Order: sequence, then C-alpha cells, then structure tokens
Amino acid sequence: MNQPERYSPSPSDAEEDRILRTWTPLMLRTVLIVSTIVLIVGIAATVLHSPGFYIDRFHALQRGQMHATEQFSMIIRQAAAGDPHAIMTIGLYVLTLVPLVRVAFTFVLFLKDRDYIYVAATAYVLSGLILGMALGRIG
Amino acid sequence: MLTILGGLLALAILAGFVGALSGLGGGVFIVPGLVILAHVPMQVAVGASLISVVATSAGASVAFVRDGWTNLRVAIILECATVTGALTGAYLAGVISQPVLEMLFALMMLQSAYYSITKHGDELLSQSDPLCERLRLGGEVPGDDGRMTPYGVRNLPGGAALMVIAGVMSGLLGIGSGALKVAAMDHLMKLPLKVSSATSNFMIGVTAGAGALVFLSRGDVAAAVAAPVAIGVTGGALLGSRILPHANVGYLRKLFATILVLIAVEMGWRALSGI
Repeated sequence: MNQPERYSPSPSDAEEDRILRTWTPLMLRTVLIVSTIVLIVGIAATVLHSPGFYIDRFHALQRGQMHATEQFSMIIRQAAAGDPHAIMTIGLYVLTLVPLVRVAFTFVLFLKDRDYIYVAATAYVLSGLILGMALGRIG
Repeated sequence: MLTILGGLLALAILAGFVGALSGLGGGVFIVPGLVILAHVPMQVAVGASLISVVATSAGASVAFVRDGWTNLRVAIILECATVTGALTGAYLAGVISQPVLEMLFALMMLQSAYYSITKHGDELLSQSDPLCERLRLGGEVPGDDGRMTPYGVRNLPGGAALMVIAGVMSGLLGIGSGALKVAAMDHLMKLPLKVSSATSNFMIGVTAGAGALVFLSRGDVAAAVAAPVAIGVTGGALLGSRILPHANVGYLRKLFATILVLIAVEMGWRALSGI
C-alpha cells in the first residue's frame, strides 16, 4: 500500500520560512521598542509640562467630546515642537504600523520568490490596511 | 493628573496580566474596565483597546515566530478574511449606538467564557485536503519524543468564514477575538492547539491593526487614554506570560470564565438601562 504523501517543505519554501522566521521577530521587536520609547517620552512630557491640559482632555472625553481629526503633517510639526499630546499620538501611529510593516515585508519577499498566490494574499491584506486609513477619513 | 494616569495604568496592567493568564487577551478586560470604572465612552475604550491589542500581539509573537510555532502561511491566507471583517466592524462601530455596542460586547464575553472552558482536541491530521495542499499550508511541530512531526490542514473555507466574523467582532468591539480564531483553526481546520494559539496571536496584530487604523484616522483614538493603556496592557501581558508556565491553567480558566460572565451581566445591564 502507498504511504500517504506527507508534508515536506521544498527548498525554496524552507528558505522563505527561514527568512520570515529570522526577520519577522526582529521587525516586531524594533517597532515595539521604538513606539514604547516615544509613548513613554510623550507621557513623561505631559506629566512635566501640561498636566492641566491632560486633565481637561480626559474630562472632555468622559463627556463624549472627541477632538476633530488632525492632519498627520500637523501632528508631526507639533511633535517636533515638543507638544506632549502630539508625541503620544505619534507613538500610537508607530505602534499601529507594526502589522503594516510586517505584511509589506512578506509581500516583497513573496514577490521576489514569484510565489504569486501569496503575493496576491499579502497584497489584499496590505490594501485592506491602507483602506483602513482611507475609510477613517471618508467615514 | 497623576491619579487619573496612575488609575489608567493600573487598570491596563491588570487587564494585560489577566488577559495573558486567561489566554483571552487584554481587550476583553480593558474595554469594560474603561467603560465601567474610568467612565469613558465605548468608542474611546474600543480605540484604546485595539492599539493595545496590536502591541501585545507583537510582543507575544516574537518568541512564537522565532521558535516555529506560528504557521505563517495559514496566517497570511486567513488574514485576508479577518482584515475584511475588521474593516467592516470598525466602520460599523462609528455608526452603531453605545447601548447596542455594550450589549454586543456582553454577548461576546459570554461566548469567550464558553470557549475558555470547553475542551480542545489535539489529534494531528496526517494529510491536508487538496486546497490546503495546493496552498502548502501544512507544517511541522515537535512531537512528544522531540522529533519533528508533520501535520496537515483542512477546511480552509470554513475557517475563513469564522475569521470574517472574528474580524467584524474585533473592529466593532476592540478585542483580538483570539478565542474564536483559535476555535476556527483548532476545531474546523484541525491545526495543533499550540500552533492555533500562536497563529491566532500573530494574526490578531493585523486584525486589530486594520481596525486601529480606521479609528486613528477617524480621530477616535484619544491619546490621553490610549497611550497609558497601550503601555500598561503590554507590561501586564509581559508579566502574565512570565507567570503563566507556573500557574494552574485549568483552575485559572474557570475563575476567569466566572469573572467574564459577571462583567457580561454588568455590561448587558448597562446596555439595557441605556436603551
């Protein structure tokens, strides 16, 4: 009787897996550390320089008053000028970029290996993430 | 100010810690914590929770991916389904009223409590079905004797359908929906339990990330709440995952399932009084 065909990775699959398993944790950790540092700097700056603003902001949120959507370029300018609230927002943006960076990396890897089923899958996920940003602006 | 900040940090650390110990993730605990104890609106709690879920997923994935437990191909294929669901859910979260969201959250908590105490099977499938074979979704896990044992995967359409629902719940309620993702991979697709958990955790980053991007660009993420929550939940989850190997998991799951049911009742009651 024939043995059922069992899983055995082809050399190119094994190489893809090796690259993914080496680089993915490195990317995740780097972006996580960078965003944590930015968030801690933002929180520390709030405590030191604008505690009153923080309290007002928190109570406004409890009453259901959100801020209007801010332009990303404006947040960058404010953060560069040392505005604590903008620094915290930048930290949150960097954190949210973790999955985007990771999926973009796999997209490039599969494209390089001409693994088209996975190129299509990662391209779909990537465009979904980018659409997420657009949806927020449209909605 | 330090009282507010300290309170948010303490709440987030506790949510991350309990989320890691129970295997349900911090989102299930931080959202009701923020709504019930910090008195912030559901939308603010969901936005903050989604970002903290991205952080905890990334933190926990580092070791799982490096050690080969995460099935990256299964994750990539199923992410197509969860992203579609997450975008739909995050969009709907902006238009659904607060009491309805709270009621949905209460129902989701009951479902999580149920999944956390039901038993999982862990028999390896020797061969993938034709579709999964074509997509090369099978993998290898270390067996009891330490040798690598191959496993197959089946029923991708069934798993993907559940992943769309998991995505909608994630975008709508600010949770990772890990319990549902693990159930889809473990029960329907027959992946080994530890591979299902690691792959679910990895995918949660993308699901929550898609939702978080919608919230961020809509201006629904309040940095004053989300920044301390992200730091606290990540720290708490790190602490929880250190303690997890020494904890009595069976007892903990029953304890947390009871807590979940109690919070679900509280959220449900709030929703009903708000309608």
